[in-house]
Amino acid sequence: MGLGSWLKEIETRAREGLNKPSPYGIDIDVTQFLEVKEGKPSLDESRVKEVGVDLSAKALYTQVDQLYFKYLSKIPGVEVMKIEDFVESNRDEAREYVWKLIDPGKDKYTALAALRGRGGYFIRIKKNTKVEEPIMACLFMSIGGLQAPHNIVIAEKGSEATVYTGCTIAPEVIGLHVGISEFYVEENATLRFVMVHSWNKVSHVRPRTAVYVGPNGKYISYYVNLSKVKTLQTYPIVYLSDNAYTYLASIILGLEDSDIDVGSGANLNGENAAAEIVSRSLARDSAKIVARASIMGRHGKGHIDCRGLMLSDKAVIRTIPELYALTPNTILTHEASIGRLAEDEINYLISKGFAKDEAIAILLRGFISVEIKGLPKKVQEYIETVEKLTVEKSM
Amino acid sequence: MSVLLLKNVSIAVSEKIVLEDVNMSVEKNDVVFLLGPNGAGKTTLLRALVGFPGYNIVSGRIFFEGEDITNTSMETRVSKGIAIAHQIPPKLMGVRVRQLLEALCHKNKCDVYEIADDLGILHLLDREFGKGFSGGELKRVEIATLLAQKPKLALIDEPDSGVDVDSIEIVAKAIKKVIELSPYKSAIIVTHSALISRYIEPTKVCIIASKAIRACNGKELIDEVFKHGFRELA
Repeated sequence: MGLGSWLKEIETRAREGLNKPSPYGIDIDVTQFLEVKEGKPSLDESRVKEVGVDLSAKALYTQVDQLYFKYLSKIPGVEVMKIEDFVESNRDEAREYVWKLIDPGKDKYTALAALRGRGGYFIRIKKNTKVEEPIMACLFMSIGGLQAPHNIVIAEKGSEATVYTGCTIAPEVIGLHVGISEFYVEENATLRFVMVHSWNKVSHVRPRTAVYVGPNGKYISYYVNLSKVKTLQTYPIVYLSDNAYTYLASIILGLEDSDIDVGSGANLNGENAAAEIVSRSLARDSAKIVARASIMGRHGKGHIDCRGLMLSDKAVIRTIPELYALTPNTILTHEASIGRLAEDEINYLISKGFAKDEAIAILLRGFISVEIKGLPKKVQEYIETVEKLTVEKSM
Repeated sequence: MSVLLLKNVSIAVSEKIVLEDVNMSVEKNDVVFLLGPNGAGKTTLLRALVGFPGYNIVSGRIFFEGEDITNTSMETRVSKGIAIAHQIPPKLMGVRVRQLLEALCHKNKCDVYEIADDLGILHLLDREFGKGFSGGELKRVEIATLLAQKPKLALIDEPDSGVDVDSIEIVAKAIKKVIELSPYKSAIIVTHSALISRYIEPTKVCIIASKAIRACNGKELIDEVFKHGFRELA
């Protein structure tokens, strides 16, 4: 099949999904985002800094709206390019990775991304390459409308790396962000993926992510939403082979009237596969958060830990942990809790000499801090900065 | 001037009077032991002194360094130099021991590692505060926070309960350091079993029973308690 007929097939599949709403989250009218928005894209470096992206990183992909793209890699063994350039220069290989884990006709958002999306990063960490420094990506919306990048990451056999993506938007700009991400973690490889979102009160966000983890591979994901958003819905799924492991952490801050529906799913396909899903939801003002998590298994073990913290009387948090064992060879567990900050704990800290605000900040920081073993120091520092910012915004 | 002076203090918890008409003073160089049976109101007294919410002074006055602090908040009292070591501190989800000690030492200019080393809790620094700790570990971490506060007057609630002999020795040594660092060299220590008296010598011993302080005397009062029990003294 030639490139033209492959792309045609994707388009046909996408068109079948155009009117299909997502089974989760608020359904939005996407027709307003079909028109290409005119304007001059510009990168707001202060917003980008807020989501932790270092624009001087040695390996970096930057995209503003669907109009401006810049990428480079000065790290040996790491390729970074725009997805269209990858498809153009590696036609046969592209078919093995692009729209393979996610069906373009899955719902109206994947369809829109397939039909109208531009850009997205292609990152390849070559065989046995181990990279300490994070590979950075910045997706910024300055004029609004649609931003639908298609991201592919391939961590080849025995490689190890961290991809750090920050997604943000200019204030008051109306936009729909649909990031399609298909990640491939090959045998014995480790991929850490950190994604930090900071949107505005009129933006809609519908990322679609799927990850394949090969035998003995590891995929560690840390996702944070730290600002206002109109609606946000995502449900990444990780497919695990023999002895593969995944750790999926989501830190969700709901502010004002945000409507957020975030999940994480793991399929334990291989023997001795293991998954841990951790979610921490903080709901302030009149925010609504649904925190989903699912583990389906034939083999191996999985654990879900969902916690919600109510920071207002008008906010709503709902957690939906789901365990699905297909054979007796699977051990699946979950724990979930929702509550408010305990007065006794606040008072304890005040008795130790902290002001009330300081006491609350210490407890909030504790609530959102999750233990991710083996993170490179620099990535750990980025996460600590994001944690501090999340606490500031939640107070 | 007394470091701490209680004049006819009555304390209520959930509108129920727990202690009535308490008169007591802590002078410079005073290490006061408060003894009493279970439920006598020893913890209530310490919590009321530090201003812990829910422990209400319904009558009487409390003076600290000559200043009336009866109607001040816990934040104010702690900022003036009163500190409490709780009998059982709460678990703080996700908060590492190191984080808390670092924040305290940042405020009070102390050395986290020196304190952790003194209390033998270096191995607990990266653990979640209180989670899965043994009785001794919990007590040592709590006393570490007290040491990091460098209080003028420490109120220490049952440092000898639920701990093994090794831990008591370590805890007692740290309490002595807290007292040494205090400008008044004073402290109030609540003890149920008086086990801590093997390591720290009190200058004054008071017995709380049946809602009031029933007796205050020198350290020989401890022997009286062991001989006759609280009931007879009350």
